[in-house]
Amino acid sequence: MSAEVWLWITIVGIGITGVMTRCSFLLLGERLVLPASIERALRHAPAAVLAATVAPAILTTQSGLLGALENPRLAAALVAVAVMWASRSMLWAMAAGMAAYTVVRLLLAA
Amino acid sequence: MLPGVPAIGAWSLVTGVAMAKSTLTFGQAVGMSLIAYAGAAQLAALPLLAAGAPMAVTILSALMVNLRFVIYSASLAPSLRHLPWRERLGLGYLVSDLGFVFYMRREPALRNDPMRKWYFAGLGLVVFIVWHSASLIGLYAASAIPEKWGLDFIGTLVLLVLLVPTLAARPTQVGAAVGGTLSLVLHGLPFKLGVVAAIIAGIAAAVAAEHRLGVRV
Repeated sequence: MSAEVWLWITIVGIGITGVMTRCSFLLLGERLVLPASIERALRHAPAAVLAATVAPAILTTQSGLLGALENPRLAAALVAVAVMWASRSMLWAMAAGMAAYTVVRLLLAA
Repeated sequence: MLPGVPAIGAWSLVTGVAMAKSTLTFGQAVGMSLIAYAGAAQLAALPLLAAGAPMAVTILSALMVNLRFVIYSASLAPSLRHLPWRERLGLGYLVSDLGFVFYMRREPALRNDPMRKWYFAGLGLVVFIVWHSASLIGLYAASAIPEKWGLDFIGTLVLLVLLVPTLAARPTQVGAAVGGTLSLVLHGLPFKLGVVAAIIAGIAAAVAAEHRLGVRV
């Protein structure tokens, strides 16, 4: 088979992993009901997911953890959290965060 | 949901740019976007495809990156499992990071609302449409978008901003602190497995904190 065909098979395979994982518990529905204690525990899932996704994206660079100090992402993150805390407005928090990112980036470049 | 739109758009734009700069043709990139519909998995697969890695390795990498969706699916199941399987399949296809977080924020209020599937479907469709439109723009305009603007960081920033209101109760704060720290420590693990491990540890820590503090969230 040609490389082109293999590529499409791979893409479909990637798609299947997406459907399998997304639909897993939703589709098994009543057949695979988790214990009530675990379903309760999953209320903490959004916070755990967000923290675990965001921490390395802000605090690591290719050179490792310490690079964060010369990194505009850290300043942007602190500003965004502060504005979110104070205003509860996602839009303001994101705008302030990206503004801080750009300012620090330009300062570092100067 | 509205503030999430630019964030999804930026994240998708970056994925589109990455696909345009990869070895994929335009048609293959559009096909991948529609079939895989998972930015992180697509970005993980691109270098493997370019390097001609064995198919099983590429698909396995995508599976690992997509494992977090299993946690989303388990979290959503109590709220949506009463639906017929066709609807659950359709809603399952629309599960996304942002859609999940927004739905779970409203879930307590929607618990007995028969219209809640439409709320979920609406969130899912907004994410879906914004994702694919921005991905196309990224594919077309790849050369016009400088990397230094930090567009990829907008995706991170919106997740961070969403984290703030979830941290109202002490046990959840503990869970987020443990999840975030462990994710940093395990950052070197392949296939983003560190993130999945950190999420599970964070949830466990939050439950332990509930017991310890006698607070039920």
